[in-house]
Amino acid sequence: MARRRRFAAIAVAVTVAALALVGRASAHGGSLGESARRTVTVPTWLFLTTGGAAVGASFLLASFVTDRSLIEAIHAWHRRARVPARRVAVAAARVVGVAGLAAVLVVGFLGPEEPTANLAVLLVWVGWWAGLSMSAYLLGNAWPVLNPWRTLAWLLPSLDRSYPDRFGAWPSVAGLLGLVWLEVISPLADDPPLLATTVAAYTAVTLVGAAVFGPATWFRRVDPPARVFRYYGRVAPVAADEGGLRVRLPGTALSEAKLVDGVDEVAFVVALLWVTTYDGLVTTPAWRDLLLPVVTAGVPPLAAYLAGMLFGYVFFLAAYWLAVYASRRTARTFVAAEELARRFAPPLLAIAAGYHLAHYLGYFLNLAPALAEAALTPFSAPAAVLVLDLPGWFGGVALAAVLLGHLLAIWVAHATAYDLFAGRLQAIRSQYPFTAAMVLYTMISLWVVSQPEVTVPYL
Amino acid sequence: MSDAHESDVRGRDVPADVDRAATDAHDYDVPTDEPVYRCDRCGRPFAREDWLRLHRGIDHPDALDDEEVETYRDAFADEQAEIRRFRLKALGALILIYFGLLMVYAVL
Ligand SMILES: [Zn+2]
Repeated sequence: MARRRRFAAIAVAVTVAALALVGRASAHGGSLGESARRTVTVPTWLFLTTGGAAVGASFLLASFVTDRSLIEAIHAWHRRARVPARRVAVAAARVVGVAGLAAVLVVGFLGPEEPTANLAVLLVWVGWWAGLSMSAYLLGNAWPVLNPWRTLAWLLPSLDRSYPDRFGAWPSVAGLLGLVWLEVISPLADDPPLLATTVAAYTAVTLVGAAVFGPATWFRRVDPPARVFRYYGRVAPVAADEGGLRVRLPGTALSEAKLVDGVDEVAFVVALLWVTTYDGLVTTPAWRDLLLPVVTAGVPPLAAYLAGMLFGYVFFLAAYWLAVYASRRTARTFVAAEELARRFAPPLLAIAAGYHLAHYLGYFLNLAPALAEAALTPFSAPAAVLVLDLPGWFGGVALAAVLLGHLLAIWVAHATAYDLFAGRLQAIRSQYPFTAAMVLYTMISLWVVSQPEVTVPYL
Repeated sequence: MSDAHESDVRGRDVPADVDRAATDAHDYDVPTDEPVYRCDRCGRPFAREDWLRLHRGIDHPDALDDEEVETYRDAFADEQAEIRRFRLKALGALILIYFGLLMVYAVL
C-alpha cells in the first residue's frame, strides 16, 4: 500500500510538471478561427516536439497504473438519472429538428444572400456541424432525437428490404469521405441556395434509403452523419439508456468490446479521424504550395483535392494497420490482428473529438451570436453581423483540446490493453506501436493547427 | 470445458457470470511453429506459460485448484518484479523528456 502511494505521488508530481511544460508551450501557440491563427513564436520543430513528448510522457504515466481492478472500476463506474417528462422532451426535440430542416430549406432559398446573415448557412455549419458535434462528444449524443430525417422516415411507409451484410459500413465510409470532400471543394458555406439544394438532395437520398431498408437499419449502418454522431457520443459522459440517462466518466465507454465490430467499422473510425485532419490541412500554405505545380501541370483542382483526400486516407489506414501488426509482435499475443484493430480503434474517436474541438470551438463561439440573431430575424439581414471577438489566449484552448484528446486516447487504449492481455507488462508493450503512431499524429495535427489559415486555393 | 463452468474443482458452485472468459471470446490466429500454452477451461492460447497462469487467476479465479492458485501467485510476483524494473526505466525516460525540453526552452 505504501509503495502504491509513493508511486501515486511520483505520478502526480510528474503530471503537474508535464502540464506546466505543456502550458508554457501552448502559451506561445497559434490561435484558430476568424481571429487568424497566429504564428508560433517558439521554433515549429520545438513546439511539435513538445506536443509529441507530452503524448509520449502520458503513455509512460499511464503505464504506472497497473492495478487491473482499479482500471476496471474506473471504466465500469456509472450512475443512472431519470429524465423528467421524457416523452414531452423527446417530442419537443423532434419538432425542433424538423423545424430546423424546414428553416434551412426555406431560408436557404429565400433568406439574405450574405452567408453570415443567412440562417440556413449558420444553422448547418455553426449550429449543427460545429455546435451539435461538440455537444455530442462533450455532453451526449442528442442527434437520434433531433435528426429530422429520422423523424420523417418513421412517418413514411417502409419496404423493409434486408440490408446486404457484405456492404457492412463501407457505404458510410465512402459517404463520409464524399461529404467532407464536397464540403471542402464547393462553396457550400458561402452560397445559401446551393446549400439548401444540397440539403434537399441529401433529404431525398436519405428518405428513399430509409424507406427501402427501414429507418433503424439506414441510420445505424449507412447514414454517415448519424454514425459520426453515434461514435462521438461514445466519448461523452452521458448516454441515453432504457428509460433514462446513464452518466459515466468521459471516454470510458470507448473501452467496451462491442463498439467497433469489424474491419469496415475500423475503416470508418479512421476515416472520421482523417476527414477532421483533411478539413484543416487544405487551408494550410503547405497544401497550397503542394497544389500549385500540380494544377499548373494541368490536373483539374477537383481531381487533385479528391486524390489528396484518398491518398491521405490510405496513408492513415496503412499507418493504423501497421501499428496493429507491430502491436501483435511487441505483445507476443495470439489474438488475431483483426480483433486488435477493432479494440484499439475506439480510442481514435477521442483524438478525433479533441481535434474537432480545436478546429471548431473558436469558429462556433465567433458566430454563435450571429446564429442567434439570424434565428430571430431569418428574412432580413441585420445592418452589422454580430460576431464574438475571442481573446488572444484562446489559441491555447485549441492546442489543449488536441492534447487532451490524445491523453484520453492513451488512457482508453491502456485500459483496453488490460482487458485484452493477461500479462500487465504485455499490455504495456502492446501499446508501443500505437503510442508511436499517436506521437506522429499529434505532431501532424499540431502542425496543422499552428499553420496560418489561407482560403482554400484553386476552387 | 463447459463442466468446469458449473462447479469448480473444489466442488463449490460457481455462478455462470463469474467466468468472464466464457462470455467474451476472442478471435485468435495461432502460428503452427511456435509453442502454445492453452487454457484447459476456455481454450485461449498463450505464447508464454506465465501468461496462461496469470490468465487462470484473472479470468477463472473461482475455478482454480490450490496448485493453480500457487502458480498464479508466483507468476504475479515475478511479473511484479519485472514491472518494478519497467517503472524505474519509465521514470528515467520521463525525467529525461522533462529536463531535456526544459533545457532546450531555457537555451532558446
Ligand atoms: Zn481460460
